[in-house]
Amino acid sequence: MNDDLDRQNNNIIANWARKHSLWVLAYGTGCGAIEVPPTMTSRYDAERFGITGMATPRQADVLLITGYLAIKTLKRVIRTYEQMQAPKYVIGFGSCTINGGMYWDSYNTIKRLDDYIPVDIFINGCMPRPEGVIDGFIKLQERIARGQAKGWQHYQENLDWYRANQKKVIKNWTMPDYNW
Amino acid sequence: MDSKLIKEQEIKRNINNAFRSAEVTVVRRRRISVRFRAGILPAFISYLKEYMGFVHLVMISCVDWLEDNQFELVYHLWSYEEHIHAMIKIRLDRDNAQIKSLSSLWPHAETYEREIHEMFGVDFEGHPGLTDLILEDWSDLPPMRRDFDTRAFVAETFEWRKGREDAQDVRQTISARYGETIPEFKKDK
Amino acid sequence: MSPMNIIWMIAMPFIGAAIGLLYIGISRNITARVQNRFGPPPYQNIIDIIKLYSKKTAITHGVMFHLGPVLAITGTISTLMFVPILTGNYPIYLFSFQGDLILLMYIMVFGCLAMALGAGQSGNPNSAIGVSRGLTQMFGYEVPFVIALIILMVRFDTSSVLDIIKAQDTVAHWNIFRSPFSFIAAIAAFLGMMGNKPFDIVFAPAEISSGPPSEYGGKYLALMQTNRGLFAFVKLVLYTDLFLGGAGDFITLILKTFALFLIPLFIGIVNPRFRTEQAMTFFWKWPTAIGVVGLVLVLL
Repeated sequence: MNDDLDRQNNNIIANWARKHSLWVLAYGTGCGAIEVPPTMTSRYDAERFGITGMATPRQADVLLITGYLAIKTLKRVIRTYEQMQAPKYVIGFGSCTINGGMYWDSYNTIKRLDDYIPVDIFINGCMPRPEGVIDGFIKLQERIARGQAKGWQHYQENLDWYRANQKKVIKNWTMPDYNW
Repeated sequence: MDSKLIKEQEIKRNINNAFRSAEVTVVRRRRISVRFRAGILPAFISYLKEYMGFVHLVMISCVDWLEDNQFELVYHLWSYEEHIHAMIKIRLDRDNAQIKSLSSLWPHAETYEREIHEMFGVDFEGHPGLTDLILEDWSDLPPMRRDFDTRAFVAETFEWRKGREDAQDVRQTISARYGETIPEFKKDK
Repeated sequence: MSPMNIIWMIAMPFIGAAIGLLYIGISRNITARVQNRFGPPPYQNIIDIIKLYSKKTAITHGVMFHLGPVLAITGTISTLMFVPILTGNYPIYLFSFQGDLILLMYIMVFGCLAMALGAGQSGNPNSAIGVSRGLTQMFGYEVPFVIALIILMVRFDTSSVLDIIKAQDTVAHWNIFRSPFSFIAAIAAFLGMMGNKPFDIVFAPAEISSGPPSEYGGKYLALMQTNRGLFAFVKLVLYTDLFLGGAGDFITLILKTFALFLIPLFIGIVNPRFRTEQAMTFFWKWPTAIGVVGLVLVLL
């Protein structure tokens, strides 16, 4: 199983294609979603790197967590993340995903995103400018090309740890178990 | 001064003629504040709505007076004819916070009442569905109450990232990369 | 059947898909330039498809869900088999026969229906809305399309695409000039078939999150994208055969199909999306009326 995953991760042609075609799920959480339209449209034009918006999690590769996550949103994010198809990457966006940011003492927002889903790249800032976002995407591309963006694999291998963390904040766990 | 507040004074007189116990204060131009008791609030509000022209419920808010052991509900009403904003303030006992729902007068009062129920734990009698609005599966004390200790809750539920308190790790990384010296700051505590 | 034909039969779907995907990639680039952006490279769609084929795919919603994309691409490839691609000194006919125009009218719908069945089984409400919109739109554009084909069949007294190509021996005899009514009706139907901007009510990412394929991902989506490129190529070749006198060699074929491809592209860039009933009104009003006028003129 793990050999198979490693082989998939180190396939040079596949990694090249994955690197140049990052489909971002158009799911805006928190306040950073407002930075995504300028990144995609004519001023900064992320499409020249092959970064496009996709409407459903089944088709997307990259999940952008754009800012703070309330526990209620975290539920939806986990569900969305598990619906995405396997080589999938998460970008944590803004200081809220790193250490809670300005919501550090809020009863309702999570403080560390990487406790709940595996994050491949953090972009810091509150909020990061579109240049910062594009820089984060390029760093992600480099990691993919080197076969280091293995967050999805890490999630599969350490599912129990992640599930325990998720169930700690989500009291009433009624989500289906996906087989991926 | 008083000559400018003719409308407001007239409304104050009218309210006092109908409900003697209402303490009406003219705050300033176009704004009056009424203290009232909780028992017959729907009758009072429907009187304001039907006869005084306060047809618009702007919002309902809640203040937690922990020292008095009371909740204060504030109903903001607006009259389109007189252009007057009325704030109806009522006090509820904090331990047994119960009041009649206004959802029969204004359907949109339901949403405000649900939120106040969720955030403060005030019980609204006659409300069609006092279910969760924003929070999901909340079992703790209602979070907007002042005796709810947010920081203790956060420290118990979440884990903070190390180095968040003074960001020394980030500073050391930056100083190691660019060869800067870290200035010595006084600690606050 | 000659061995050369068998080789073409195997190679043509790949060539067609590559050309179609390249066209769609170029269209993305042109759209970007119109919007004052730099845009992705023209081969972006091919990278996307390599990536999609390299993804793991673990979705299941039933048998028809798996069969849907496969049947769609089967329908498209079988359509390709009946379209004469080149007619010069080295012709590529594959399976053309007398009366293939009538077969084409039916078999072009097959892929859409297969996709509708597959998407319908996914159980996603967005898919269901997309499918119903797609079938409605198909009813819309099939009317002017069939009228345009009937005009050509009556005019040349044949239902074979090869005979229609042979009748257009010089530029002045191209059907685009000889039966302009038919061409206008057919090109309006073409706008609907290509699903470019004013008529992209089926896929509408902002409304119904990409419609029928919203539950498809990974390899299924790759198959659907390949199908999209190939189907675009098939439709372009068919229109070239019917209205631009066919193509003698590959360079002519590419020039003619690309010129045809630019029409829906440029109309799409500058137009917003229609609602379903607006699209239906459009299809059943002007192209159908013009087609009927052309039909009456031909019959007189």
